[in-house]
Amino acid sequence: MLLRAKYRVGPELKFLANLDMMHLMNRALRRGNIPYALSAGFNPHIKLSMGTVLPVGLWGEQEYFDLELSRAMDLGEFMLRMKESLPPWLEIKQCWEIGSDLPSLMKSINAAAYVFVLQAPALNLDQWHAELLARESLPVASRGKKKGLVKDLRKGIYKIELLEDDIPKKVEFWVSVGEPLNVRYDELEELLLDTGIEKKTILDVYRSGNYVMQGQDFLTPSEKVK
Amino acid sequence: MKDRLFRDILPQVAKPARYTGNEVNMIKKDWARSRVKMAFAFPDVYEIGMSHLGGKILYGLVNEKSPHLLERAFAPWPDMEEVMRREKIPLYALESFRPLRDFDLIGFSLQYELSISNVLNMLDLAGIPAWTQDRDDSCPLIIAGGPVVFNPEPFAGFFDAFLIGDGEELLLEFLDALEVNRELSRTEKLRRLSALEGVYVPALYSVEYNEDKSLKAMIPRFSDVPPMIRKRVVKDLDDAYYPVKPIVSYMELIHDRAALEVMRGCQRGCRFCHAGMVYRPVRERSRAKLEEQARQQLQNTGYEEISLASLSTLDYSGLDPLVKNLVRDYGEKGIGVSLPSLRVDAFSIELANEVQKVRKTTLTLAPEAGTQRLRDIINKNVSDEQLFDAVTAAFKSGWLSVKLYFMFGLPDETEEDLEGILNLLQQVKSIGDRYSRRPVEIRASLACFVPKAHTPFQWRTQNSIEELEGKRQYLFKRKRKNIKLSFHDSRTSYLEGVIARGDRKLSAVIYRAWQKGCKFDGWSEYFHFNWWMEAFGECQIDPNFYTERSRAYNEKLPWDFIDIGVSKAYLYEENEMAKMAETTPDCRQAGCSYCGICPSFEINLDIKEANNYAFES
Ligand code: SF4
Repeated sequence: MLLRAKYRVGPELKFLANLDMMHLMNRALRRGNIPYALSAGFNPHIKLSMGTVLPVGLWGEQEYFDLELSRAMDLGEFMLRMKESLPPWLEIKQCWEIGSDLPSLMKSINAAAYVFVLQAPALNLDQWHAELLARESLPVASRGKKKGLVKDLRKGIYKIELLEDDIPKKVEFWVSVGEPLNVRYDELEELLLDTGIEKKTILDVYRSGNYVMQGQDFLTPSEKVK
Repeated sequence: MKDRLFRDILPQVAKPARYTGNEVNMIKKDWARSRVKMAFAFPDVYEIGMSHLGGKILYGLVNEKSPHLLERAFAPWPDMEEVMRREKIPLYALESFRPLRDFDLIGFSLQYELSISNVLNMLDLAGIPAWTQDRDDSCPLIIAGGPVVFNPEPFAGFFDAFLIGDGEELLLEFLDALEVNRELSRTEKLRRLSALEGVYVPALYSVEYNEDKSLKAMIPRFSDVPPMIRKRVVKDLDDAYYPVKPIVSYMELIHDRAALEVMRGCQRGCRFCHAGMVYRPVRERSRAKLEEQARQQLQNTGYEEISLASLSTLDYSGLDPLVKNLVRDYGEKGIGVSLPSLRVDAFSIELANEVQKVRKTTLTLAPEAGTQRLRDIINKNVSDEQLFDAVTAAFKSGWLSVKLYFMFGLPDETEEDLEGILNLLQQVKSIGDRYSRRPVEIRASLACFVPKAHTPFQWRTQNSIEELEGKRQYLFKRKRKNIKLSFHDSRTSYLEGVIARGDRKLSAVIYRAWQKGCKFDGWSEYFHFNWWMEAFGECQIDPNFYTERSRAYNEKLPWDFIDIGVSKAYLYEENEMAKMAETTPDCRQAGCSYCGICPSFEINLDIKEANNYAFES
């Protein structure tokens, strides 16, 4: 049986690297006596595959993993056991049984949303927002593999939303990830700094979602299940 | 504090998960309702400290079995230290994020001589004076335990008390006594605590030296202060506390697995081995207990591997059935068993094959010396045949890489012995070429021998850095192709040797070295030998006094007042036998060789499983 789960990684765990998160999940599956399936071979591992890597320093509201079980299991029971074995800051929100023909999370997730929480910035955010959207190019110094090159984020930013009513203010970027253009959260942060937002006013950054973009639609990996 | 760390501080440093706490199975006790508040401080970085078994035992013991509280602190890596100093963040404990200064007691675990510079650095980061005499009643008591404190004298200036021997036997008693005497002044408190067996309070002794700078006397300053400090010993491991719900870290550790302590102590009697002498006698844990602990630990941690820990696991009397049962019960779930140390014989390899169903990467064996004569001198009872049998079995069963551990600079070592190392390596290589289908990799790790206190070689000289370098070059020039040699840093070993047999005068040097910036001395990238040498110079202390001088049998040694149970007469005999290259057999197989501990501590070798199969080598 294959299942897909949506989970929240709380701020307490934002400093975990991807490998740490894998270990945490694997060990929780063992503690929870989940009937996980093992790969064959000398060094068997649990058939767990995580969605795109949550960068160190960020927490995540809607992250995903796929898991293969060696036998069928009630999904409610699965969630209950995982709740007992996971730390409270890592919470499985929902899960679904999926077919084996579904493309992997890694392959299908091609967009993500990042939220920057801002302490009332000196500048007018509405104006800042409008100006940003009006620009034709948004160049920043590339991070990651192509360090040092200048990268234009414009094409990779699908939308920028001001989550109006919230205090402190929140800005949400919907961006492309993976190929052909991977927009990183630290590049977005640089964009903020370049456009007049002060570093000390950024209170928090998190990933609010992972999406499968089809045409103009942002589908969640769980919608892809149905 | 925590918010500030998460928001402003930790994003600036590498591996922030070192500093966040909140791991699975962490115990955070109610501060106000707990009696004595103790911080367990490990003077190295998180992933090293969290790998350490002794710390896990004490953590569970205090938090689960007593009304006291124990939280953890580790040495921040230099990048974090820099931010902490800049932002004025004091060293804090991972459970409550409280500054270490708020605690009643800070206990350092000293596993390695050179970690002392990190102790001073951590005290400084905590805002606590390094020297005992500079601390007032508002300061926590600073204590230490661990293998290094069997010679506590070099660190006497920094610790209010030392706890000698098995910690789980003494710590709760110590905390209870501290609670009872809480209202007393610091000095009075310490004096009461010194009455507990195994507790050494250095300030209660005056020390006199002879003109030749050797120790003349150590005199208790009050009549109720004991002249000898006797180590504490767990008599029966089955009755001792053992944690079955240890913390599971988020970040990867050096040893990141469920550990079963199958036994404590070792009776093989290698004459260079400090742990082998100070942790006598051997005490096993019963197989039933171990299997139950394995079950509980795996359930509580979700670890993917169980490691069978001890000084010499292959000697555990119930090893064969234990391993088979563990493999039977957990193999299917993808949980492996690991044997951290192998004995040099074919049986060990067979057993390793049985458990290591994983890829056969590198097999490590420790013949320690290159010739039979030298192995007899150090009482490492391994023959060439055993080594060849072991590697033959290994290569036949598919291992492709063998790493051999040796020491050089051993007592009475000659060129022949160095040549012997190279010959052994060559022969191992040809066995590999004969039995393996693919080219084999042979590596040797060469550690510089450091004579340690409480061992038969405590009277011997240590090779100088120049001698060691000469030997290193000798070996390096003559080594054959396709054999890799790696050498320990002779300067690190030299310094380790100075401190290992040092006296109280060294506290000043250590302090000076720390002032110059020494820290993380066990990490080559941070080790500044020249700063240490400057510190010796400025304190007018000749380090060679501690290493290059062979001590007379009648010399009073700075650690003689620590009673480890093994008699000085036995150590003397062993040293004399070494001179004649005579061996002493394992007392578990050949009967008592009268080291003294069993009668003196009214204890016995505790062999739990009748099966002697494991040590028929
Ligand atoms: S007293 Fe005898 S039996 Fe006991 S540890 Fe020493 S040598 Fe072995």
